[in-house]
Amino acid sequence: MKLGDGIFGREIVPWLAVVFWIAVVLLVLVELVGASFGDAVEGFIQGAFGGRRFAYLMATLSRATLIVGMALSVMLSFRAGLFNIGGEGQLVAGGLVAALVGIFLPGPPLLVLAVSILAAMAAGAAWAMLGGLLQLYVGVPLLVGSLLLNYPIRYFASYLVAHPFRDVPSGMVQSHLVPMETWLPFFPGTRLDIGILFILVAGISAIAYSYTTVHGYQSRLNGLSPDFAKTVGLPVDRLALQTLAMSGAIAGLVGAVAVFGIHHRYIDGSLVQPLYAWTGIIAVLLVGMIPWLVPLSGFFFAAIQTGAAGMERTAGVPKEIALVVQAAIILFVASRVSGALLASSDRKTDGGSDA
Amino acid sequence: MRVSLSGIVVRFGALTAVNDVSLAIEPGEIHAVVGENGAGKSTLMNVLFGLVKPQAGTIGIDGRPRVWNSASDAISAGLGMVHQHFMLQEQMTVLENIVLCAEPVGPLGFVDFAAARRRLAESANLHGITVALDREVGRLSVGERQVVEILKMLYREAQVLILDEPTSVLTPQEKDRLFEILRSFRAAGRAIVLITHKLDEVMEIADRVSVMRGGRLVTSAPLAETSKEEIARGIIGGELPPLRQRSARTPGEAVLAVEGLGIGRRGRSVGPLSFSVRAGEIVGIAGVSGNGQAELVQALAGLKPASAGRIVLCGRDITGLSVAERRRIGMSYIPEDRQRMGLALAATVSENANAGRDDRGGFAKGPFLRRGAMAEFARDIIRRFDIRVAGPSALASTMSGGNKQKLVVGREITRATPLIIAENPTWGVDIGAIDFIHGELMRMRDAGHAVLLVSTELDEVMALSDRILVMYEGRFAGEVPGSEATRERLGNLMTSHLGQGSAVAA
Repeated sequence: MKLGDGIFGREIVPWLAVVFWIAVVLLVLVELVGASFGDAVEGFIQGAFGGRRFAYLMATLSRATLIVGMALSVMLSFRAGLFNIGGEGQLVAGGLVAALVGIFLPGPPLLVLAVSILAAMAAGAAWAMLGGLLQLYVGVPLLVGSLLLNYPIRYFASYLVAHPFRDVPSGMVQSHLVPMETWLPFFPGTRLDIGILFILVAGISAIAYSYTTVHGYQSRLNGLSPDFAKTVGLPVDRLALQTLAMSGAIAGLVGAVAVFGIHHRYIDGSLVQPLYAWTGIIAVLLVGMIPWLVPLSGFFFAAIQTGAAGMERTAGVPKEIALVVQAAIILFVASRVSGALLASSDRKTDGGSDA
Repeated sequence: MRVSLSGIVVRFGALTAVNDVSLAIEPGEIHAVVGENGAGKSTLMNVLFGLVKPQAGTIGIDGRPRVWNSASDAISAGLGMVHQHFMLQEQMTVLENIVLCAEPVGPLGFVDFAAARRRLAESANLHGITVALDREVGRLSVGERQVVEILKMLYREAQVLILDEPTSVLTPQEKDRLFEILRSFRAAGRAIVLITHKLDEVMEIADRVSVMRGGRLVTSAPLAETSKEEIARGIIGGELPPLRQRSARTPGEAVLAVEGLGIGRRGRSVGPLSFSVRAGEIVGIAGVSGNGQAELVQALAGLKPASAGRIVLCGRDITGLSVAERRRIGMSYIPEDRQRMGLALAATVSENANAGRDDRGGFAKGPFLRRGAMAEFARDIIRRFDIRVAGPSALASTMSGGNKQKLVVGREITRATPLIIAENPTWGVDIGAIDFIHGELMRMRDAGHAVLLVSTELDEVMALSDRILVMYEGRFAGEVPGSEATRERLGNLMTSHLGQGSAVAA
């Protein structure tokens, strides 16, 4: 009972304040462009959760799937004290490999799909471990190395789909389509693909890993105090590489889900421009790295983005203003981050005793 | 300036840290506040200094009740506090640190450092303090940093000085210098509050002593009206533990053998060091802090590579092995720094108790943790080592220093390895816990384990060791059998090269 009270006091009340200030900013901006506040809010809510047969809600969920996936990837490494901010590169590596394997591997569709997903996870893991190896053997801090590794893989992917594997007739910088039989199906009666199930499984595994496995426990101790972990003889280097591999594998999985569920090919920039990886990082920091809150936080960010788009469509709020609103929302929400991080050590145990 | 605390109550959640304490601090007096860790003495002083708000009670300055909203209120009222962990900005010079937040401003808005320098020189001369004002604080020794903290208070003309465990980081000489300064403050009519748990210091310098236990004030009396024994009884709430009796014991085979060990370090290197520790004996390594003990311990534990020589544990050469492999072969390590190396403070007691144990089989099922078994084991250690903590799922950071140390000692000792390395195992720990930890180390010796005790506390080394090696400037200056050790003999070795080269032990 006490736990619930604590969460209520610490979580809900500040969040109400955040919502209030977001409304204030929205009111001022909407007033500025001469649109109606009511329309704007309605457009926002419709855009995030409404639509015919909840089409927009499905769009939100689809986006949330990718953000939550990236957030899970980040969470695993951050909780182990590994500041892997190279999720974008690992995502691109996964998406690229998934598309290429999907296009070129012959065989029954289900097998192709399975192999593509596994290959994507392996690619993401390898790219993440590269950052870890740079830190361990060359001395490049992971924070820097993982970030810088985003660029070579992005441009390499751009090159591959711009030249050797380009779908030239389409006129776009993108690969050919993967066979239609390998596309992830929609849930019946919706336009939501089943990629969310993959992320669900990944999420449950990640949470179970964090709370119930020896490896998760050890890598968390390493994250909390590296000196302590070394002193008691934990295999810190191996833990770091393995954790990075898991983190990268999830990012690779997200890339595969995006390719087989949404784009059905690798489109240049499609995984980078929507800022899935960065939003994922914010989504994790926002909730102080508490695993079971990560899906909620990811959904929240997806809703902000689709909601802002809805506001533009229906309330005539120009896209730029919608973007400012979106940025303001993220700012307000992120301003809670520092507090959340300060309290995170407290809440890590709250979460721990839940498990 | 006369300060009075009356009826102070501080609660942290369910815990009452300070329970209805009233205390008067008189000018021209050194007032020692003693008690075990967790007795509430630091919390009480934090109330006086405006860092903690009391739930009840009042603070009076010269008879007028005052309320602090923050520490800066207390500072402007003439209070100053030197915390156990110094509050200095390492990249700035001594002078910049001292004037920080109280800068003398010239007519153009620039900081008038010349004026600050003049003012400081005056008060420093008065109390016989010398310190290079233009040195970067990061380059100063711990003792010098403390002087900077004290100068800071002088500069702000604090009339009441609170010092929290000021001697815990000082060498004997530095301590003497500090006490000289404090005596000079007393002569100048300032009030000094000394938080400590070292009774010898209390007897040496205090005019009045207040004993706290479990959040309550047990006694507050002039030093002349009490005795060391009475104070000690007040602190632990019972009789003193009897002096430790050492049972005669013939040591067995060498468990740890170190041959020509060298360790690289910035500046001078450490070594070559050769010695051995046999089963059933405690070998003490004494010396002033910073003479290579830390490097030696890290090299033995596997945290620092050896640059020469070899280390043999239980007959196996472990020179190139990892920490985990060494521990598996038969080494436990109680590190000096329990906050950073001994424990993961943000993890639970149960998680800490289980870390680094090689009997993982009991606590895991395949890749999964058995949290129940972990908690059960933690409860066991809590019971056996009498650790005061809410339970296995409490955070390690919620424990007092002594209890943290007991948890570290408990975790390492219960591994029952042939070799136990204890590095300043009772640093900053209360009397009860010191006695308990000493008892445990002695018990391990009697049970046939080899114990290497590295400590800067001479009393500790002399009380426990069968043989004592003294380190000076990275080498052994000599070896003294425990039964023949005197403070003078060890003290001489601690500051000279005497007997160097003849220090190769059996």
